[in-house]
Amino acid sequence: MLSFDGATKRFGLLTALDRCTFTARAGRLTGFLGPNGAGKTTAMRAVFGLVELDDGTVRWQGRPVSAAERERFGYMPEERGLYPRMRVRDQLVYLSRLYGRGTRDATACVDAWLERLGLAGRASERLDRLSHGNQQRVQLIAALVNEPELLVLDEPFSGLDPIAISAMSELLSDQAAQGATVLFSSHQLDLVEDLCQDVVIIEHGRIVLAGDLNDLRATVPQRFIDIRYQGPPPDWRRLAPAALIEASDGHARLRVERGIDMAALLAALPGGGAGLVSFTYQPPTLQELFREAVAA
Amino acid sequence: MNGTKSMNSVRQAWLVAKREIRERGRSRAFLASVLLMIAAVTAMLVLPVLFTSGGARDVGLTGPAPARLAATISQQARAASITVRIHHYPSLASGERAVRDGRIDVLVAGAWRLEWRGRPDNQLKAAVTAAIQLVTVQQRATTAGISPGTMRSLLAPVPVTSVELGHVTGRGPADETAVIVMTGVLLFCISVFGSMVLTGVLEEKSSRVVEVLLAHMPARSLLAGKIAGIGLLGLAQIAVTALAALVAVTAAGSVDVPAVRATVLAWALVWFVLGYLLYATVYGTLGSLGSRTEDAQSAAGPATAILVVSYFAAFAMIAQPASAAARVISFFPLTAPMAMPGRIAMGATAWWEPVAAALVTLATIAALVAIGGRIYTSAILHSGPALSLRAAWRTAHTPGSRTTAGTGALPATALPQRAHLRSGGRTTMTTDPTSHRLLVTVLTGIGIALGVTAALLTRDVIIGVIAGAGFIAVTIQMVKLWGRHEGPPATPH
Repeated sequence: MLSFDGATKRFGLLTALDRCTFTARAGRLTGFLGPNGAGKTTAMRAVFGLVELDDGTVRWQGRPVSAAERERFGYMPEERGLYPRMRVRDQLVYLSRLYGRGTRDATACVDAWLERLGLAGRASERLDRLSHGNQQRVQLIAALVNEPELLVLDEPFSGLDPIAISAMSELLSDQAAQGATVLFSSHQLDLVEDLCQDVVIIEHGRIVLAGDLNDLRATVPQRFIDIRYQGPPPDWRRLAPAALIEASDGHARLRVERGIDMAALLAALPGGGAGLVSFTYQPPTLQELFREAVAA
Repeated sequence: MNGTKSMNSVRQAWLVAKREIRERGRSRAFLASVLLMIAAVTAMLVLPVLFTSGGARDVGLTGPAPARLAATISQQARAASITVRIHHYPSLASGERAVRDGRIDVLVAGAWRLEWRGRPDNQLKAAVTAAIQLVTVQQRATTAGISPGTMRSLLAPVPVTSVELGHVTGRGPADETAVIVMTGVLLFCISVFGSMVLTGVLEEKSSRVVEVLLAHMPARSLLAGKIAGIGLLGLAQIAVTALAALVAVTAAGSVDVPAVRATVLAWALVWFVLGYLLYATVYGTLGSLGSRTEDAQSAAGPATAILVVSYFAAFAMIAQPASAAARVISFFPLTAPMAMPGRIAMGATAWWEPVAAALVTLATIAALVAIGGRIYTSAILHSGPALSLRAAWRTAHTPGSRTTAGTGALPATALPQRAHLRSGGRTTMTTDPTSHRLLVTVLTGIGIALGVTAALLTRDVIIGVIAGAGFIAVTIQMVKLWGRHEGPPATPH
């Protein structure tokens, strides 16, 4: 388990991290969300000591993170980078050895990963001879090469095509299923919603929302109703406590408070809901949670 | 705990060094440079032998001549270190044909006329003329009734030796040439391998691989490993080249290797290592300030300027290696690697002087590693435009506190950090363009004064110009580097 405990970092007058406290749990995928410049990269760098905190602590299994622990962490920085002119296999074995493995062990591990990601045939080529997609895969192996207990990935999905996105999703879920703690940042909220059990939302260096995604959605007072219907649109103003968010031909989305009288609402529909095709009552999507949290 | 941690960073530094050796060692550019250097050195040693056919000369004899002439020519030539082969021709015509065909260098016709193909070879001419005179005098003495014994004692050779005077007693011009070449080789090696460190650091920074590396190892191990790896590669290249030179000398046989003693060579090697470590640390630190490989040249500027200036200073001091000025530059750590080996070779040092200078240089290297390590650590993760030295220094972590990132800021490390922050907003002297210009003017003034003083002290205008111009060039570069792009320091989001 990775935990941030009051982590604070200032750059001159800018406070990049402001008493950040949250945890990322083992065996789960934690999505790290926030607008650009909110402090995601700084927080991730702090895990690896690349940013020295002014105050607060980053803990791993309850103990402050030290160099020895970092050997069991995997990191994929936002700005990708490896040695462009080094051969793929040599490069990964070198990194694995830097992270503390013996030569034979490192080689076996690298070969297994190259095989798994379909790069075995390119192992002795220079990195810059590979396509962009394959370079991304090598970068991912660089983070995974030592079977890390903690995986920190900064925007792992950016620049990936749909097929690569689903491959990456599968891989990350797989890592979590094997007991790893996985923390990654992303702007693709629908993806995070599908993939993650936990989310952390940061804004101006402050954590504004953190926890189990389903719990967060459940505790929020708003609920959303989607209505599909046939015939002329009803007069939405008559559904008094509900606010219309969007309406198109045959579809409407309404925001209501939790615990609204559903029967009354249905009764208020024209013809007592005669033209109704479908009706769903749901907690907010991650998109809505995010917008709410960041706007507040 | 602390022990295993430092063990681990040593292990990591060694891995970095091995990577440098392996990757660079098999790059085509490196192999080409090794071959080029071997070829250049071999050519330098072998070609002169091939062109100056310092071998035997051919002398032809024809017509009536004293009986002992052939033997005397050989003797005289041997005294002048020339080997001659004597050929006899039955007629003048056949002898002249041999001259025209180039089969002989000179034809002695009837012991009184020398015939050459073109301009006479003065050495050979002197030897042959002396032989003819000697034989003639002996002949006349016999005619005059002087006994051969008396004659021999009269004509006994007077030993005359010639000495090439150098500037220093006991050292000749050949030694001076050897020293200049040796110092030049040192300059070349230090700057070549030093700038390899610089471009290496810059490549790691611009390709962003450095973030992946530093997530798992201290910045100091990365820099130390890089310097060690390239240094070992450099030593290997020097060793291979020296071996090739040795083979070439042995094969060519007759080359006169400048009499440079083993102790001098050993000291030159020591000074290569010291000079390389010192300048590689500086180059590595400067490299971390840039962000694109194109920044390499401007970043290397000040260090290369100091190196070249110290080479010329050492070059100028060769004539008076025991002077105060020579002593100063051979002790000043930045110039010592260029100046001290020459003084040692010129026999101008007491035994303790190189030892003391080496210790001073070592201490400087230690200080530079501490300062450079701090700048490197903070600058290497900074992206965006090239960083100024001062900004890098100011945002630097307190050395050794990197691992406390996780343990929370201790009060002791938090304090200086806050102090940096407070000074962050203040505008400082060099940001103001007028005071910047003032500083440059003041430095130029100091430089001119220094140059004039140096010229007066050494009574040598060239040294004065070098000292003054060097000072101005180096300090202004430093000022530029120090104050470049004043803005908020490293601010990753």
